[in-house]
Amino acid sequence: MIRLIVGRVLMGVVVLWAVATVAFFALHAAPGGPFDDERAVPPEVMRNIEERYHLDQPIFTQYLHYLGDVVRLDFGHSMKRQQTVAEIIRHHAPYSAKLGLFALAIAISLGVLLGVLAAHRQNRLADHAAMTVSLIGISVPSFVMGPLLVMIFALGLFWLPPARIEGFTSYILPATTLGLIYMGTIARLTRSGMLETLRQDYIRTARAKGVSERGVVWRHGLRLGLLPVVTYLGPATAGLISGSFVIEKIFQVPGLGYSFVASITDRDYPVLTGVLVFYAAFLTALNLVVDIVYGVLDPRIRDRR
Amino acid sequence: MTPRRAAPTVAAAVAVAALAAGCGLPDGDYFGRVPDVRDRPRHLRLCNSGEPEGLDPATVSSTTAMKAVYELFDGLTTYDLAGLPEASLATRWDTSADVRRFTFHMHDRGRWSNGRPITADDVRYQVIRVLHPSTASVNADGLAPLKNAALYNAGAARLVLRDTGALRAGDVVEVLAVDGKTLDAWHAAGDRVPDSNLRRGSRPLALRDRGAAVADAYGQVPPGDDVQIVELSGDPLRPDADTWAYVYWNHGDGLYGWVPLADLDVAPFDDAVYRVRRRAPRDTPGVDLSPAELTAPDPPRPAVEARGADLMALPEVLGVRVPDPYTVVFETSNPTPWFLNLSDNRILRPTPREAVSRRPRRWTDPDTIVTSGPMHLTAWYQRDRIELTRSPTYWDPDEVKLDRITLYAIDDQSAATNFYFAGGCDAVSSNQVPASYIRALEGRYKDFSIEPYLGIYMALIQTEQFPNRHLRRALSFAVDRRPLPTFLQGGQVPTAQFMPGTPIARLSDDDLRLCGVTRDTPGVASIMISGELCYVPPPGLDFDPERARAELQLARDEMGADFPTHLVYRFNQGVEGHKLIGEYLQHQWKEILGLDVDLEVQEWKTFLTDTKNGNYQVARFAWVGNFPDAEGEFLPMFRCGSPNNRARWCNPAFEAAMDAAQTIQDRKARLVQVREAERIMIEDAPVIPLYVYVQTNLRKPYVRDLGLNLIDQQPLHRAWLDPDWRAHRDGAAP
Repeated sequence: MIRLIVGRVLMGVVVLWAVATVAFFALHAAPGGPFDDERAVPPEVMRNIEERYHLDQPIFTQYLHYLGDVVRLDFGHSMKRQQTVAEIIRHHAPYSAKLGLFALAIAISLGVLLGVLAAHRQNRLADHAAMTVSLIGISVPSFVMGPLLVMIFALGLFWLPPARIEGFTSYILPATTLGLIYMGTIARLTRSGMLETLRQDYIRTARAKGVSERGVVWRHGLRLGLLPVVTYLGPATAGLISGSFVIEKIFQVPGLGYSFVASITDRDYPVLTGVLVFYAAFLTALNLVVDIVYGVLDPRIRDRR
Repeated sequence: MTPRRAAPTVAAAVAVAALAAGCGLPDGDYFGRVPDVRDRPRHLRLCNSGEPEGLDPATVSSTTAMKAVYELFDGLTTYDLAGLPEASLATRWDTSADVRRFTFHMHDRGRWSNGRPITADDVRYQVIRVLHPSTASVNADGLAPLKNAALYNAGAARLVLRDTGALRAGDVVEVLAVDGKTLDAWHAAGDRVPDSNLRRGSRPLALRDRGAAVADAYGQVPPGDDVQIVELSGDPLRPDADTWAYVYWNHGDGLYGWVPLADLDVAPFDDAVYRVRRRAPRDTPGVDLSPAELTAPDPPRPAVEARGADLMALPEVLGVRVPDPYTVVFETSNPTPWFLNLSDNRILRPTPREAVSRRPRRWTDPDTIVTSGPMHLTAWYQRDRIELTRSPTYWDPDEVKLDRITLYAIDDQSAATNFYFAGGCDAVSSNQVPASYIRALEGRYKDFSIEPYLGIYMALIQTEQFPNRHLRRALSFAVDRRPLPTFLQGGQVPTAQFMPGTPIARLSDDDLRLCGVTRDTPGVASIMISGELCYVPPPGLDFDPERARAELQLARDEMGADFPTHLVYRFNQGVEGHKLIGEYLQHQWKEILGLDVDLEVQEWKTFLTDTKNGNYQVARFAWVGNFPDAEGEFLPMFRCGSPNNRARWCNPAFEAAMDAAQTIQDRKARLVQVREAERIMIEDAPVIPLYVYVQTNLRKPYVRDLGLNLIDQQPLHRAWLDPDWRAHRDGAAP
């Protein structure tokens, strides 16, 4: 287990370096710069700006500077806003995280419930109903689902705010929109995992022992039946917590996902590379956590090494 | 029932539920909820168009930032309800006979939020900040009319400190080369130019306020570190033991501060050899010229050499002076009749040196900001909202009708409109209504309006690729602009004229008289000074299929084998209307001229880069003016050397007409000349104007005195909320 963790951490460092490097060169290769606008800036003025942000230096020199800063965990200043990249991440990431965790809670609780229900009542009405709901969750894109929910609950019934985050209630619509997508997948994974598990010998043994149906499903079946879901939860959690650009835009959540996309259109080099490295580190860490949890859930994996 | 069949059923059920919940457009006079404002009659909540990039008047440039900046910082003049300048820190101003010197007389009641009086020196300091290379402001270009502004910004202006060779103390010179290399050569090699303003201290330098004790320093420069002199106290030609230097230390985020000049005892570039040339009389501060001198050719000015020790880049080279603490004088190289229009702009709004020096990049954070306007910054939640509260130190409290302004950062049009609908904000910043909503809102709700805006939507022609003017004229004649608003659905004003303005049919009778037109005159006009000055742009090459075909035939005859059978129209992605316009042009040019047109869509920054580099044939473009002046804001983009000349159009007749206008002192006569320049341009068709931009506005019925004008600048603090609006609705507003 320790070897696994150390190996993964070392691997993660290499991944981070690769991400930082690719991001840096890809963005600098894109045409235009942070200070290009409809009103063009005269060359003399542009020279002052480039000098200030070191954009006048050769690209490789800039890269080495940047890499040195990243190693010292200094991501620099935004070129479009007055905050530092660290401040931007610190300020916006919690909004995305809260939204994501809320959505995750909705996705897991509803998804597992629907999945277990469907597996248990396979090919009966409950199964079809649950799978229909999950299909809607998967197939209706968030840019349709979001405005639809806004229309009903914010503009029609005036129950919830249509945009902006101000207090707990304003998370409900965006979190539901975001959670529904993942709920669908989780329900489907749970259903197939459970169906397979419920046919296993040890389940038959449990039934033969006289374990109650509820016990069979929730205690014995679910533990193995959830393995595919756990695998899926790693990247899903990362995706949820790092912020969804579309949902953050529709609901004007000041999260990191939107800042990230804006930094691409703005060519805000430090923000883009900084947030990307942050994301990569976050994703690497989550994958590690999944590996560990996997080991805990499935003894076969833990004992293999 | 399988899931596959069930899905549409459920989706239909959801849609029905949505309809049942009342998603149709609401009845009534107003769009959405009209909240009760009895409990907050002095708090305005505005849905601003996004997150400002900053709040520093010297560096910000977006209209989003202006909403807050103009409340936080007072100016010599500010915007009135019509968007034109009116007296504020300045009580009056005079213009010299040659329209090159502008003297603003300030009152002494202005106070910074830290209690210090606002003086003329604060205005001068702002000029220095905007133009000094260390600020790296994108706005530096805006002060280009001031004497030597561009040269100073490029680090190429110097003041001669003492008589040396052919130069006299006090001369202003232009740097041609340093140590044998031109400035461009230095930059091209990637090297730092030797700078005669650099100094070092052999002992640590204590950066502090001018005159303060060492103990009160807020920055310590280690011995041997470079600092750059920005300014000297007193007369720079006669420094003495009491002279202080204001220096910039390029370390971390940068730091500015005063130190006694004597502390700067190491001057590394005293022996640098500068090759310089004296500036022409018209560019020399303090020199008045007669009309004859103004048009006379410059006397010969030979290049000479000087030592770094004898030269320094100082604000004295600029056309700004402070003869006494409440008078500021600006001087421009050329007659600049629109100078007053710069005086309310952010670039001339004073900023507080004591706050800027300590945290040059971050002084506008709520805990360190020092303001001068009617409102003070109390909180700034990134990408969420900005809270402004009434400033206790503002000099004119009676004009401030609000105690609090909340600016929500909502950059999504649907979200802004929805938020307004639900009663979340009292007004929405202009142009934040999605195009798809407009048809449903227009004429139906009293809180929705469409007004003209000082912006022009156009198709630019890359004239190096299409040098034949007949071909360009054919392209313009072939476009029927009238249907544009019907498919763009936004109330746009179709036009073939270049300079935008208010449709003549919508002008008041007084304005019609002023502009010298009748109500049935087609086109637009702009009021430049209320009751005094109006500009009617020359007519453009509007739809005329016969002339289009005739011009095309001329082009065909002249060009022969070079005649293009086919051209590419390019636009940027992100706005549905750009695509619709592209398809419409494609259709028109095919139908009228028989030309095949390919459409190309590009990501925004790529589009900007390509159009700037001339890498296109015909492209969608837009231009929005800061103030209604063709000569100052719109026509310069067609000058030969302009960085904004994406059409790459360079026409000697136009250049001559613009140059001729520059020397005319009478404003009306000058406008005639400007109109002639615009006529030359539009007749040569480097551009195909299509429509005048409009602004869509949503304002709850209780919002009063929030101005509506061509440039969308409102003094927000003068607005107020009327809790009893229903009672006042049918009668006159109180």
